[in-house]
Amino acid sequence: MTRKKILGSHVKRLLSGVSAHGRRHLSEVETDLRQTELLLEEAIEKLTSSFLAIHSAVGERQAAIDRLLAGGEPSEADSAMLAAMSSEIGNHVNTAVTSMQFQDMTSQLIERTLKRVTGLRDFLGTLDEHGSDIHPETGSEEIVERLGKVSMALAIQSLELRSVLRKSVEQKHLESGDIELF
Amino acid sequence: MAKTILAVDDSSSLRQMVAFSLKAAGYQVVEAVDGQDGLDKARQQVVDLVLTDQNMPRMDGLSLIKQLRGLPEYQKVPILMLTTESSDEMKSKGRAAGANGWLVKPFDPQRLIEVVKKVIG
Repeated sequence: MTRKKILGSHVKRLLSGVSAHGRRHLSEVETDLRQTELLLEEAIEKLTSSFLAIHSAVGERQAAIDRLLAGGEPSEADSAMLAAMSSEIGNHVNTAVTSMQFQDMTSQLIERTLKRVTGLRDFLGTLDEHGSDIHPETGSEEIVERLGKVSMALAIQSLELRSVLRKSVEQKHLESGDIELF
Repeated sequence: MAKTILAVDDSSSLRQMVAFSLKAAGYQVVEAVDGQDGLDKARQQVVDLVLTDQNMPRMDGLSLIKQLRGLPEYQKVPILMLTTESSDEMKSKGRAAGANGWLVKPFDPQRLIEVVKKVIG
C-alpha cells in the first residue's frame, strides 16, 4: 500500500471510530434524558394528585372537626367520615411515598449521563492532545504512527467508558416494583 | 420490644421514605449511607432485618451481604435487597450472596410492611 493510502486508511479509521463512539454515547444520553423526563413528569403528576387528595380529605372533615371542637355531638355521618379519615389519608400518603422515590431513580440516570458526558469530553481531549503534536512539517510516516497511537488510546478509553456505564435503572414509570422472597 | 431494621441506601430521600414507612408500622430503623457504613452499624448493633440497596459508593449491596454473612451473628438475620435492579442475573447474584429476598424500587409502603412482617413478624 502506498504511503498516501496508508495515511488515508488511518484517517478514515480514526474519523469513523470517533463518529461511531460519539453517536453511540449521545444516543444513550438522549435515551436517559427522556427516561428522566418521563419519571419526573409522572412524579409531579402523582404528587400533585396526592397533595390535592389529602387536602380534600381534610377539608371534607373540617366541618365535623369544628363541630366537635365547639363541643357538639358527632352525627353518625360525622363519626363514619372521621373514622375513615386515617385510612383514606394513609392511602394517599402511600401513593406519595412511592412517587417521591423518583429522586433516587432520576439521580442515578443523571449520574450516568454525567459520567458519559465527562467521558466524551476526555475522549475529545485525547484527540486534541495527540493532534497538538502534529505540525505542518510532520512527515507522513510519523503522522501514520501518531494516528495509530490515537486510535489505540481512544479504543481503550471507549472500553473504559463502557465498563462504568452499566444501566441500573430501567423503570419508566413509578408503579411499585416486584417483590420476590427466595 | 420493637424490632430493628437496618436500612442501607446512599439516597437520603429513599432512606427517609423507608424509615417513614417502617416507623409508622412500629419498627425501629437504623440508617446507613452506604455498604461500609451499613457494615459498621451492623457490627455495633445486631438488627432483626437488613434492607439494602445495591448500587452504592464504597461498598455495594452484594458486597455488604457477603460481609454480613461472614459474621456469626448475621448468619440467620434476614437480608432483603431494595434496588432499582430487576434482572434475573442480579437476583441470582443476590441469592448466591445470601439475600433472602429482592424488592424492586419504587416500593409501596403497604407492600413493604407486609413483606417485612412476613419475614420478621
